[in-house]
Amino acid sequence: MKPLLELRSISKSFPGVRALRDVSLSLNSGEVLALVGENGAGKSTLLKILGGILQPDKGGVRIEQQHCHLPSARSANALGIQLIHQELNLADDLNVAENIFLGRQPSRGPRWLSMTDRRTLHAQSAQLLQRVGLGVSTRSLVRSLSIGERQLVEVAKALSADARILVFDEPTSSLSLTETNRLLCVVEQLRDRGVAIIYVTHRLKEVIRLADRVAVLRDGQHVGTLTGADVTLRSMVDLMVGREIQHFFHKTNHRIGEGPPALEVRNLQPKAASYSVNFAIRRGEIVGFAGLIGSGRTALARALFGVDSPCGGEIRIDGRSVRIRNPTDAISAGIVLVPEDRKTCGVLLQLSICFNVALAALPRLGRFGWYNRTAETALARRFQGELGIRTPSLRHMASVLSGGNQQKVVLAKWLALRPKVLILDEPTRGVDVGAKSEIYRLIFDLASRGMAVMMISSEMDEIVGVADRVIVMHEGRIAGELTGNRIGESSIMELAVGT
Amino acid sequence: MNEPNQALTVPVAEEHEINSVQLRLSEVTVQVLIIFILLTALIAVTGWWDPNFFSRFNLRSIARDTAIWSLFALGQGIVIISGGIDLSVGSLICFFGVSAIILLESGVSFPIVLLIVFGAAAVIGMIHGILISRLDLQPFLVTLCSLLTFRGLARVLTHDQTASFDAAEHPLFRALATWSWWGIPMPVFLLVAVLIPLGFFMHCTVPGRYMYAIGANAEAARYSGVRVGLLRTWSYVLCTMLTAVAALLEAADVGSVPPSSAGMAYEMYGITGAVLGGCALRGGRGSLIGVVLGMAILRVVKSAVIFLGISTYWTFAVTGLVLLGAVIVDSAIRQRRAK
Repeated sequence: MKPLLELRSISKSFPGVRALRDVSLSLNSGEVLALVGENGAGKSTLLKILGGILQPDKGGVRIEQQHCHLPSARSANALGIQLIHQELNLADDLNVAENIFLGRQPSRGPRWLSMTDRRTLHAQSAQLLQRVGLGVSTRSLVRSLSIGERQLVEVAKALSADARILVFDEPTSSLSLTETNRLLCVVEQLRDRGVAIIYVTHRLKEVIRLADRVAVLRDGQHVGTLTGADVTLRSMVDLMVGREIQHFFHKTNHRIGEGPPALEVRNLQPKAASYSVNFAIRRGEIVGFAGLIGSGRTALARALFGVDSPCGGEIRIDGRSVRIRNPTDAISAGIVLVPEDRKTCGVLLQLSICFNVALAALPRLGRFGWYNRTAETALARRFQGELGIRTPSLRHMASVLSGGNQQKVVLAKWLALRPKVLILDEPTRGVDVGAKSEIYRLIFDLASRGMAVMMISSEMDEIVGVADRVIVMHEGRIAGELTGNRIGESSIMELAVGT
Repeated sequence: MNEPNQALTVPVAEEHEINSVQLRLSEVTVQVLIIFILLTALIAVTGWWDPNFFSRFNLRSIARDTAIWSLFALGQGIVIISGGIDLSVGSLICFFGVSAIILLESGVSFPIVLLIVFGAAAVIGMIHGILISRLDLQPFLVTLCSLLTFRGLARVLTHDQTASFDAAEHPLFRALATWSWWGIPMPVFLLVAVLIPLGFFMHCTVPGRYMYAIGANAEAARYSGVRVGLLRTWSYVLCTMLTAVAALLEAADVGSVPPSSAGMAYEMYGITGAVLGGCALRGGRGSLIGVVLGMAILRVVKSAVIFLGISTYWTFAVTGLVLLGAVIVDSAIRQRRAK
């Protein structure tokens, strides 16, 4: 069979970086090709070239054996290539149908006075929604939809433009489990109808389920393609990092502390009209918080950290009752939070790495509120070494760092304060495999030094691999608790869905 | 299909780069240098065209105006750095000026007048800050309301008649603007007296650095334990207090305050000066010395238009074009440095 799409020896350099070196790929219709690689491996550059946003320095794109020139996004669309970006491109205040046909609305009347043909617009949109299995009205505003529903609208939009080649860039990174499943089903249906699909993701489980073939990129090079039974977690990870990661989760035998728990929560009501929650975490203990998205884990973390002031209940640190009205209170009580949304709540992207690391510790570095730049630099340098923050210089803006290194900066910011309780909300979201294993090692290390760790995660293997004890939440309350051998993906899932 | 060799490994050559220290002027330093060069060039060209530009009288009046304008622009700068904006400056200049003159003329002693005006300024700034940080209202809207309200109040207080005072009866007040030492006018001393502690505050104290953090990303700052609401409120209090200082100087300098036109568009001067001086309107970037240089440029442009023999009607247009040019150059430089 002749491939539908061929990328031939594509190279692309940016000043100082060779983003892609001689990458060749092919794609048949009715096939899902997964594209995996660590952050910075060149996936996004490749997608941008395919979408006409960037031009390759060398090499070319061929569709149905024809050499194609892709000078713009529009020209790529015209050839039937549609990109579905990680950040969705929908107008929140327009309705579903208007979004699907944005810029291409069916019209009637003479050309100089063309009006939108609403009837056709909604009829066609409804058809497309049916194809992607989305049961919302074409008249509902995009603003009112969940992230998963918006993703499906985006797919419908791509289909409406007669896409032959659909490119998904991390489509499930912010979807709940059910939404992810629905999207994966839609992708499978599209494949069966003959659409060629390139699927980029960090979630290797999805790759195993979906992909007919897997292309692995590393440092801008295509280092291998896996097919059929070769597509395993292990083989992909090994190709991605170029070395065998041994002991991905090397659970240490850290001692769990005696005495009063480091964190004890009694009848805490995270938000008005929610259930109250009781639990405790001992010194040196890692407690995983599992559950579906929206099960109340993040709300609980925000209440503990004082972002939303809780409605009643008691929080005890080392047996002492503390009052937390804002993050400042939480920090002085010894509770810190690595938030889920790193870019908006974790790092200050346009300020220096140095400043980001020292941010929370600044009042302790200088006397009388004096800003101690020397101490700031020393602190940042120390954590750069300890956590392996990879950067050309600490004076660079934090935005130059990769996701994993940004996360290390957030962790460094808190470790500088020697907290008692470390709350991690999705600590490895958008973090590449190499940095992931470093973060896990760090978590174990902190626990063995006596820190109490509360880790919220939607990635099952992470919870199972890291936590000493797992608390599963369901619709705002604690559905159950698992310890030792009872921690397993199926037991967690049962509690999480509330059976 | 041609697949690349699976066994290909790439040596990772980054360790040596990681430890190398890069010597680069900070972005703000570059900006201040550029604005300084621009200012020098402007002065040189105008002075070369007409040496009268360097007359003692002209230089003194430029220095005095720059100092007065810089006072409120510094406040605006701090508000902008911390991610806000204050549109009420112009109306408050008028309101405080009018109030001070009315109080003085009704026989209240000068120190008490100062106390009342600064007290009012602190309260107004605090109200701005609380409305913005507690009720989460947009700074633009809150201060726009003040822009309208205080302009209106000034006109009500004076029945729309120009408020003026007798310089002979209030020598102390008059001296605020006219007293000079070695030819340097009083406002310049006041500016230096304000600039040095403020500069220390912004650059050498933790709350000052936190102002930048709030401007860069208020949410992340809050998640890091920064008291965002408190510091924001402080920035507005500082701005309004500095506006009050400028208002008193302006009133003392001119001798009268017409309520319908005094301080008109000064908030725009302040914003223009701050942006010229390198403050990013979205917050998180800027320096106070840059703000002062920016205001100096504004004032010199105003003067240059006269000395170069262009009609004074052109002042605003030229200022606008200078600002546009500066913004374009700044963005071009930043894009090059980003590479």
